[in-house]
Amino acid sequence: MSMKVHCIMLVDDNKDDNFFHKRVITKNEAADVVVIKESGEEALEYLRKNQEDSLHPHPDLIFLDINMPKMNGWEFIEEYKKLDKEFQSKMVVVMLTTSENPDDRIFAKKEDIIADFRTKPLTKEMLDEILTQFYSL
Amino acid sequence: MKHSELTFQAIVEATPNAIILVNKEGRIAYANHQTEKLFGFNRIELISKKVEMLIPGRYHEHHPSFRSQFFAAPETRAMGSGRELFAMRKDKSEFPVEIGLNPLVTVEGTMVLVSIIDITARKKAEEQFRLVVESAPNAMILANKNGVITLINAQTEKLFGYQRKELIGKKLEILIPKNFSENHPHLRESFFKTPSVRAMGVGRELYAIRKDGTQFRVEIGLNPIETDEETVVLASIIDITERKKHEVMLALELKNKELEQFNYIASHDLQEPLRTVSNYIQILEEDFSGLLNNEAKSHLQTISRATLRMRMLVRTLLEFSRLGQNKKMVSLDCNKIVKDVVADLNSLINATQTTILIEELPIIQGSEIEIMQLFLNLINNAIKFRKKDTSPEIRIACNKNSNGHFEFYVTDNGTGIDSKYFNRIFQIFQQLDAGQQIEGYGIGLANCKKIVEMHGGKIWVESELGKGSTFKFTIETV
Repeated sequence: MSMKVHCIMLVDDNKDDNFFHKRVITKNEAADVVVIKESGEEALEYLRKNQEDSLHPHPDLIFLDINMPKMNGWEFIEEYKKLDKEFQSKMVVVMLTTSENPDDRIFAKKEDIIADFRTKPLTKEMLDEILTQFYSL
Repeated sequence: MKHSELTFQAIVEATPNAIILVNKEGRIAYANHQTEKLFGFNRIELISKKVEMLIPGRYHEHHPSFRSQFFAAPETRAMGSGRELFAMRKDKSEFPVEIGLNPLVTVEGTMVLVSIIDITARKKAEEQFRLVVESAPNAMILANKNGVITLINAQTEKLFGYQRKELIGKKLEILIPKNFSENHPHLRESFFKTPSVRAMGVGRELYAIRKDGTQFRVEIGLNPIETDEETVVLASIIDITERKKHEVMLALELKNKELEQFNYIASHDLQEPLRTVSNYIQILEEDFSGLLNNEAKSHLQTISRATLRMRMLVRTLLEFSRLGQNKKMVSLDCNKIVKDVVADLNSLINATQTTILIEELPIIQGSEIEIMQLFLNLINNAIKFRKKDTSPEIRIACNKNSNGHFEFYVTDNGTGIDSKYFNRIFQIFQQLDAGQQIEGYGIGLANCKKIVEMHGGKIWVESELGKGSTFKFTIETV
């Protein structure tokens, strides 16, 4: 049986991918809410604001792309680390990217913040695996 | 004294050179004040003495005969042309001189007026010049208007492989390859018409030739030098073979890097839209299935297949461009590598009833993943291109070739390859047998080629259609 979290955030500049990934998530009822941010800056702003006022759905899981204009995935991670640690601990960050560059994969392994590294597109199987791994207590 | 004699004396006394008048017997009839100063003798000590008193002892034996020769055919000329002349002072010290001879008819018979110049300072300057040239880090050659070499330094001997004595007195053209030397006298002439410090052959590639006939790229600087007698040219020569090689290597490396970067970015960026196409076909199939008839669904499947194939091609290209990017050369036991590869192919080998004979293989310096991939591709191909009703037999062995490098070969009893394809099979995306629907995207052998070349080797095939193939490659021994 499929698991479900409250909120999943997609950080990706590719609108087509966002549409497709949101569809996979909702179709498989993996989250109540899907928040889409098309840049690292926007995503950070959302998280920073929520850290103060908690007015918006808090992401349990973030899918993060690497190759984005301006702030890329790695730069986002650097900024993300500056958020409150307890606040951070309520989220799981998974890299979801086209990159088949082994360097990125090696880099991701070294980064504690990044729980997993996946290649697009997101599938039902992938979702199940990730949710089972990080949310079955 | 007659008036004319007085005039003669006045002139001789006034010249800055030492001048003596010598008769047929070699006795000094007259000496001017400069002679006293130069030789340290008083005039009285000289008059009517043999002229040999002014000459170092070692020349005494031959001097009288030279004198007789002069009086036999008196003419105005320099003494001992081509030889170095020395004079001797009263205190027996010697000094280099240049001597001019002029016959003079007097009432006492023909005499010779001898003009002597002390060239110590000039000789010293020449010696200093020689020392500077000798110690220069470049090959330096001094040559005159006619292109005759008059001086070279140690670097010249080293660079061209000639001994000094083999070059002095020879024409410069001995150091210039034939196809350039013909025009050289003409170029030299125009240099001497308007001599200036400049580089030789601006815009042209210059070559020099060694004694052993080998040619090499050079850069040459030309400096005109004014001497007392003539203008000569000092040529400074630098062997730029290594520099040129280095330049070419750097340019190649840069090009390769650019190409790989381009390849990587292109194939990476191409993946994205392809994935989007696949994704949206999936949406159509899943969400709009009811709206599509069977024909439309079949077209969608075709699009899907083509997209998948395109993704495979792009991925293969990506892999090719990444090949060897992080290579680390280590010591590799090829026996173990091949054994591992064969183990990986176990199911394919069993399914096709392939027998593989592995002879003793060497230990090489190589990049492990790449060398594994090389053997994997070659063995895989040998099985893939088997004959329909013959079980594959593969033999893997290695010899040392005439260059001392390892020459590996992988022989099969498969379909063989037409000789017109021997080169094409190593190019990327060249699948000969597309009709047969054999999986793979025509990159295996291109990868092999890249891997072998990375290891300083060559790969080629020897084959005949229907009679199996032998793929051979060399690996440098370090």
